[in-house]
Formats: sequence, structure tokens, C-alpha cells
Amino acid sequence: MKKILVVEDEKALCLLYGEELGKAGYDVTTAYDADAAMAEVKKKDFDLIITDIRMPGKNGVELITQIMGLRKDIPIIINSAYQSYKEDFMTWAADAYVVKSSSLDELKLKIKELVGE
Amino acid sequence: MIEKYNYLASDFEKNAPKEMMLLSIISQSFFQPFSLEDNLLVIMTALTSGSGVGFNRAMLFRRDGDRLRGEYWLGPRTPEEAGYIWEVLSTPGIGYVEIIEHNRALIRKNEDTLSRRIKNLVFAMDEQTCGLMPVLAACHKEAYLVRDASKEPLVDKRFLDIIQVDEFLCFPLIARDELFGMIILDNAFTRAPIKPGDIKLASLCGLIASNYIYSATLHERLLDAEKMAAMGEMAMFVTHQLRNPLVTIGGFTDQLLQPGVTEEKRDRNLRIIREEIQRLEDIVFQMGHFLKVSLKEPVYFDAGPAIAAVFNSPEIVAKSRGYALNVKVEECLPQVLCDPTSFGEILRNLLDNAFDATPPGGTVSVRAYRKNLSSFVLSVRDTGQGISNPDKGQLFKPFFTTKEKGMGLGLTFIKRVMDTCGGKIEVQSRAGKGARFKLIFRSWEKE
Repeated sequence: MKKILVVEDEKALCLLYGEELGKAGYDVTTAYDADAAMAEVKKKDFDLIITDIRMPGKNGVELITQIMGLRKDIPIIINSAYQSYKEDFMTWAADAYVVKSSSLDELKLKIKELVGE
Repeated sequence: MIEKYNYLASDFEKNAPKEMMLLSIISQSFFQPFSLEDNLLVIMTALTSGSGVGFNRAMLFRRDGDRLRGEYWLGPRTPEEAGYIWEVLSTPGIGYVEIIEHNRALIRKNEDTLSRRIKNLVFAMDEQTCGLMPVLAACHKEAYLVRDASKEPLVDKRFLDIIQVDEFLCFPLIARDELFGMIILDNAFTRAPIKPGDIKLASLCGLIASNYIYSATLHERLLDAEKMAAMGEMAMFVTHQLRNPLVTIGGFTDQLLQPGVTEEKRDRNLRIIREEIQRLEDIVFQMGHFLKVSLKEPVYFDAGPAIAAVFNSPEIVAKSRGYALNVKVEECLPQVLCDPTSFGEILRNLLDNAFDATPPGGTVSVRAYRKNLSSFVLSVRDTGQGISNPDKGQLFKPFFTTKEKGMGLGLTFIKRVMDTCGGKIEVQSRAGKGARFKLIFRSWEKE
């Protein structure tokens, strides 16, 4: 079972992602901020990380930099409410950029592309 | 030795040249917070008053796209009235405020006569009218003196019927090569010929008026641009603020539509959906509030009871639970210049921020005291996480927030109110050491 870390400060969204991606057959861990996410990355060998950008404390871009310093090979999907961060070159380090949507289809598709079922 | 002089002196010596008096009246009026209309009236007054250029009547046209629209016509209706007005205006010691008041009354009185005659008068600035006086002056951007108007073929007959004089002066209002309007002057009652000196002086007044209109127009455009920029930021912010609840509502609704949902899960999802809908409502409410808030004129009022009312309000009482709230309000506070409702909102906002920034058990201190005879200080200090240096520059920008569910409009509102009442805001903070917001208001001592 592929292991996914979801970093998202909205607790309801964490719950939703956890349940839906769990149903799709993934082992999902959630973290509400960048520091908690880093602690999880050190503990567990994830196959994929999905992160928000605007979060209290460190933002998603800072988190990506930190993760890449630790493990260069983990694929990362940015999942933000903002379309405009796509133009920020710092987000290019991520493998995919999915704008938040009430349908999780696009997100699921990208996950499948990056790590398989 | 150091001597102090009032640089807005209005009491010139009797034999001071009238040009000096005139320029002094005009430039001083621009120091007053008069409206554009009032300041134009000052110019018109200067052109017609005995102590000014001394024309009998002045007519103002303002530019409205590619047309010139009659605004008002200042001057007496009869020779008797003219004599009376000039007597009043040349009374020694009469200031520009009195003159404007007088002319405002005069304009109201003239509504039924002179001004009404030109109020509906609109000249298109097309090829045909640009060949005839008075529009010719505006189109060519030069001053023109017309004599023997009734015999002159280049004078608009419709205009001649209204002005009914044979000699008049037309000059355009121009700044930076842009046309703002036109002024027409005559001596309908004294029949005095218009002299080159009068034309020079009148043109000078026109130049000052044009520059004033120009800067007032620029100011208006700047405000519009700022508004547009704020709207852009708002649109961006709203996208984010609305998207999160919408994704949550959509996602949990989709789950409900799946077959075999347990009752427990259905209840949980509906509760989450309800909460997110509430959040959307809050966002919409706050946006609406921000957009429609138009600030009221500041007035002098008693700050003491206004401060007490905020501390007694149920929201603040509830919010302050778990904190040490330390309030020191000086007795017999002066009268403070601000809109009283906005003043309460300001304090409420500052307290809200202070409580939000401070961990439970921390201290929030409020001080209200007079700084000197003309200023009053309201300060709110917390022992929270402080403001980081990069955040300091953004504090008052609309939609900037460090709160998870904040809108970033509280400090923007405070800044707007303080700007309106001529106050100042000082922020002191170091990361990790709390923050202090000090608002300095204008105040006035009660007798």
C-alpha cells in the first residue's frame, strides 16, 4: 500500500482527504502544519506528499525545500486554493500543481500518475 | 533672536497692492478643507470682488467630456445690488471665509436668475462651435477679449442673448495642456472698459484655478486607483477564502451521495457542511460590511463613556476571560476628534487582535490619557507573539492577516478612520515580545 502524507491546515479538509484517499486504497497520514509534516517525514518512508501552500507558520514552499534537503526523491503535489502560485518558480520544484476543487478526481489522477494505484 | 510669524496672514496693510491681496485670498483658501466647488467659488469671488480684479460678473463653465457645461454665474443682478455687495466686500477686516459665505448665499439667491440662465447651457466643442466665441477661447486655449459683440460675426448668438453685453473677456482653464473649463467676465453694470492689466490679473487667477482643479482631479484619480488595487487584492483573497469551505462542502456532500452511508457519518458530514456554510456567511457578511462602510465625519465627543461601553460589551467580557486585562483610563478625558461609532469599533478591533495574539494567561493592557493639550492617546498592548519584521510593512494592507480565519480588514479599517480624523498610529513590537498599538487622536479641552 502506497503511503501518502497530506499537509493541510484545514482540519475538515484533512479528514476528507484522509477518508477519500484511504477509500482509494492509499495509506494516508495527515499533518496540520509544516513542522508536524517534517516530523512525519523523518518517521515514515512516504511515497508521496501533498501539501497546501498558505499555512500558519512555515508555508508549503518552505516545507518543500526542507523535504528536498532530506529526501530528494519523494514526489510532491501542491494542492492550493490559489491558482497564482503556479507562476511562482519556487513551486516548480513540485511534481504537480492541483488547484483545490470539491471534486477530488484531478488530485486522484495525479496521485495515480506519480505513484500508481 | 527667533521670531514667529503666521504664514497664513490675512491682515495686509491698506495700501498693499490688490494683486497681493488677491493672491493671498486665493492661496489661503486652498489651505482650508473646502471642496473643489467652494474653492472655485473663491476664484470667482476674487474675479468679481472690489478688492479683487473687480469685474462685475463672472460665469463658469466646466468641461464635461467634449462639452462645456454652465456651472454658475456670479455677480449682482442690478447696479444697486452691485453697489451694496462691493461695499460689504471692501469692508476692512473682512476675511475670505466671510466672502465665501456671502457668495454662497448670493449663488443661492441667483439660482432663480443668473445661474439658472446658464445652468442648462451646454456647448459642444465641435468644429462649428469652436469657430465662435465663447467656445473658440476654450478650443484655442487662449484668452480673448470681445468688443462690439453684437456686430461681431464670430460670436454665438444664443450666448449673446444670455450675456447681453457688448464687451466680455473669455479665457480657458488649462493645466498641463488639459482643458478643465472656461471663465467669462464682463462689466455689465459699470460699463467700464476691460483693461490689459485686468486681463493679466484675471488670467493669473485662471491659471491658479486650473492648477487647483488639476490637482483635485489627480487626487480623485489616485483614490480611484487605490480603490481598484484594493478590489483586486480582495478578489484574490476571496478566491482563497471561499474555495476552502467550498471544497469541504463539496467533498463531504459527495460522500453523502455514496450508497451505504451510516447514520453516524451522515450526521458528522452534515455538521461539517453546516459549519462551513456558516463560515461562508461570515465571509460574505464581512466583505459586505467592508465594502459599504463609508466613514462618517469626525466630531469632538466624550471618549470616556465610549471606552467604558466597549469594556462592558458582552463580546469583550467573554473574550477577555482567561486573560489579565489591565485598563487605566485617565479621569476627565478631553473631547476627542473621531466618529464615535468608529472609535468604539477601533477599540474593539484592537482588543480582538490583542486577545487573538496572546496565549491564555497573558496580559492585555489598555491606556487612555492626554498626551498634551491637543492630543489624546489610546494604546493597547499585549504579551503575545509580536509582529515579525516582514509583517510590519503589511499590517494595514487590506486582506493581510496572520490569523487562521481572519479577514485582514481590522487594521485597514483603523487606518482609514485615523486618516479621516487626522490621527496617527504608532506600532511597537518585537517578535516574541508582544505588540503595542498607540493611536494618537486630536483632542480639545472642555471649558
